[in-house]
This record gives sequence, structure tokens and C-alpha cells, in this order.
Amino acid sequence: MSAETAIATRSLSKRYRDVRAVDGLDLDVRRGEIYGFLGRNGAGKTTTIRMLLGLIRPTGGEVEVLGRRIVPGETGVFGHVGYLVETATAYPNLTVRENLDIQRRLTRAPKSAVAETIALLRLDEYADRRAGQLSLGNKQRLALARALLHSPELLVLDEPANSLDPAGIVEIRDLLRALAAERGVTVFMSSYILAEVAHLADRIGIVHEGRLLEECSRAELAARARSFTAEALTEQERADALLTMDLERYFLWRTGGGE
Amino acid sequence: MMFGTVLATEFLKLRRSKVTWGTLAAFSIAPLAIALFMWIVREPGRAAQMGLLGTKANLAGLEATWPSYLSMLTLVVGFMGMILLAFVVAYLFGREYTELTAKNMLALPVGRHWFVTAKLVVAAVWWLVLVAAVLIEAFAVGSLLDLPGFSMALAMGAIGNALLSAGMSYLLVPIVAWIATLGRGYMPPLAFALFALALGNVFGKTGWAVWFPWSIIPLMIGAVGQPQTLPVGSYVVAALTFVVGVTATIAQVRWADTAQ
Repeated sequence: MSAETAIATRSLSKRYRDVRAVDGLDLDVRRGEIYGFLGRNGAGKTTTIRMLLGLIRPTGGEVEVLGRRIVPGETGVFGHVGYLVETATAYPNLTVRENLDIQRRLTRAPKSAVAETIALLRLDEYADRRAGQLSLGNKQRLALARALLHSPELLVLDEPANSLDPAGIVEIRDLLRALAAERGVTVFMSSYILAEVAHLADRIGIVHEGRLLEECSRAELAARARSFTAEALTEQERADALLTMDLERYFLWRTGGGE
Repeated sequence: MMFGTVLATEFLKLRRSKVTWGTLAAFSIAPLAIALFMWIVREPGRAAQMGLLGTKANLAGLEATWPSYLSMLTLVVGFMGMILLAFVVAYLFGREYTELTAKNMLALPVGRHWFVTAKLVVAAVWWLVLVAAVLIEAFAVGSLLDLPGFSMALAMGAIGNALLSAGMSYLLVPIVAWIATLGRGYMPPLAFALFALALGNVFGKTGWAVWFPWSIIPLMIGAVGQPQTLPVGSYVVAALTFVVGVTATIAQVRWADTAQ
């Protein structure tokens, strides 16, 4: 596995009794790229992410993150990794600031990182509100703030746009794009929403039933999607898809989140 | 250095937690309840007029004296402590699974064993504060009752017994911590603690009681007969229970899957 690789998996598998959640997955995520890990619910995205983070043990294969082999309990590499797994969670009795302060201490980030991350994720208004009293969208922002706080080299984000409104999605998309372009942060993000991945990712891997079906660049995927749309969709289905896009743009414009 | 940081964050997690005050409130009822019992024994007529348990208290053959008050206090600290301390540990470990924060904690540049150790230290400090608060309260309430028979030797003996049973209770709780991490929440460890307490009282009446960890405290405080002086082997069993519990909890947190 090369030094240019941020994440590498070889024949990665996870079985739960008779269910193959992940089945022989080979991934190579290059440093500095945004990799979209696209799949339907139950495709094996979250299980893969948990194995990348050493939260669960593979039943086969291996994982390397930033050049270090991952085994449960591995700690060395996680000072350079920020992550968000599935549901955004925090200590409900603590404020946003206190939750982030815990993360700061455990990742040895500088004290200034808390205020900077609060500003970055536009959580200033809620900084002294208890996490248990936040809306779902702001909980998601707090979880993203947790992931970003210690300026990691690699971000592993499981459905980062969950619970965010369209304006919030655009904002987070811009933030991730800027992190990758300006700081060289590698982003590995999973999603079941094609549009979310298509807007952001440099390369996209499509996973289904625990297997990688295909892997391509965004441009290749867009070309394949256009070709599919032209051949397989009816006139009405194409009109519906365009209407959805128009409505989203109109909504963003009306709520001030548009570009 | 890292342990100090983890310990500090574990204390931070308790800020504004209602559970800390709830345990203090629950435990501080004990001296008041014993004091009420003492008052009933001393004033059976007035207690009967008020519809309190005057008759039962008299039948128990109790005396409203400091020795009697303090022996009941030791009994309550030992017995209630086994449950309350288990509750504290179930909360400290179980909340990470119930609030789905374990996943946030386990992929950090921090050895997972530090979290287990720090939580057990927090539990020890919390427990010590509870026991100290209840002892201070008990002596204050006893003084207000103006009970006869106080001596410094008696007070020191009672404090020693309470601390000994509190310490023995602490040796048993890492098993509760392990069950909290195994069962991923509050309910399994609490169910285990209640089951162990019941089993301890049943075993307490058998010849094996001195070797069964959860019978040792009931034997020591006199919950299953007269208080007994325990053989050294009982302390060894309690210490081994502690070691097994800590090792199992660290192993569980270190190697088991965290699928949340």
C-alpha cells in the first residue's frame, strides 16, 4: 500500500452469522481526494466505516489508515483522523462548548480550536446550549465540529448531510471542498444520496450487498448517469428529476443559502 | 499525563448530571430513616398516635441508643451501598452506550483502558463522597436526637465499619462495569446487581458464604445474622473479584465490537 494512500482495504469482510455485511472489499482512497462511498441502506457503508475506525473487527481481510494497520484498540493513528459514524451523538447534559472541550482535551488540540470550530460550523448561537436541547441539524453540526476540531488529515464521515436542511447541506459541502482543496484533507464520505456525492466527490465507489460494484471519477459517473437517463427514463421521469433540481435551487435562493 | 486528561474529561461529563444529586438524595434518606426508627422506639406512644410503626419497632427489641443507631447505620451503608454503588457504575459505563457516545470515545488517540480506569476512579471518588456525606449527616442527626451512649471509640468503630463495607462494595463493582459494557446500557448491570444482592443473602445462610463475593458484605454487616469477623480468604476473594472485573471490562472495551 503506497504512501499516497490514505485508506486501503484488502478483501475486507464482515459477517454477522449468515449475513455478509461486507464481502471482500478492496478500496484505495488517495491522500487529498474526496471519495464518495455510495450505496443503498444496508449496503455495508457504515459497517465498512466502523472497521476503518477499529470499532468492529473484520472477519476477514485488513485495513490500513494513513499507513497504519487498524486493529480494535489501535490508537496511534486517530490523532490524525476525524470521524462521524451514523447518528450524531453528544453528551446531552453538556453544552456544545463543553462537548467540544472534551474532544479537544482527548485529541490534544489547542484551546483556541473550540472557538474556531464553533465559528466554522456556525454554532456560535448555540455554543452554551446543552447538546440535548439542539435540533437534529445542529446536533449534526456539533458532530461534524467534533470531527474537525483537531484539524485531522483524514475525515471519515458517515452520511454527513443527515438531518441538515438544503442550505446546511450546501454549506457543509463547501466546507469539505475547501478543506480538501486548501488543507489537503482527505475526505471519505458515505451516502445513499447520489446528488450529495456527485456534487462533492472526486471519485465514487458504489457498494451493494457489501461488494464494490464499480469505482469511477465524478465525470465518468456523470456521463454514465446521463447515458442511463437518456436510455432508460421516460419523458415524465426526466421532467420530474429536473423539477426536483429546480425546486431545490429555488428553495436555496428563497432561504438565502444559494450560491 | 494521558490518564490525567481522561480522568478530567470523565469528571467533566458529570456536569449538570441529575444522577449525582439523585444518588446523594437517595443515600441521605438512610440516616433520616434510621433516626425516625430510633424516635419511634423512644417515643412509642406518640408514634402510635401518629400511626407510625411503634409496635413493630418495639418488637424488634431495639434501643434508642448510639450503639444501636450506629449498628443500623453500618447495616444500611453496607446493604444500600451495594445497590447504590452498582447504580453509579452502571450509569458511568452504561450511559456511553445508551447515549450512543461510546463510538465517539473509542476511536481516539487514547488507550481504551484509560477510559475504564478513569471511570472506576470517578466511581471511587463519587462513592467516597457519598459515604462521607452520609456519615457526617448521620452524626449530625444522631446528635439532634440526643441519643445516649456516645463515645469516641464507638464513633470511630462505626466509621471504620462503614468505610470497610464501602470498600468491600467497591471491590465488587468492576463486575457490574463489565456487564454494563457487555450489555451496552443500564439495565443489564442493574438487573445483575439486584440478582447478586439477592443471591448473596441466600448464600449468606450457607457454609460457603465467606467465599461468595456477594455474601461477604451481608455477613460482615450482620444482614444475615450477627456481624462476623471474616477470614482473610474472604478479602482475597473480594480482591480477586475486583481484578477479574477490571480485566474483563478492559478486555471488553478493548476488543469487542462497538456497533452503534
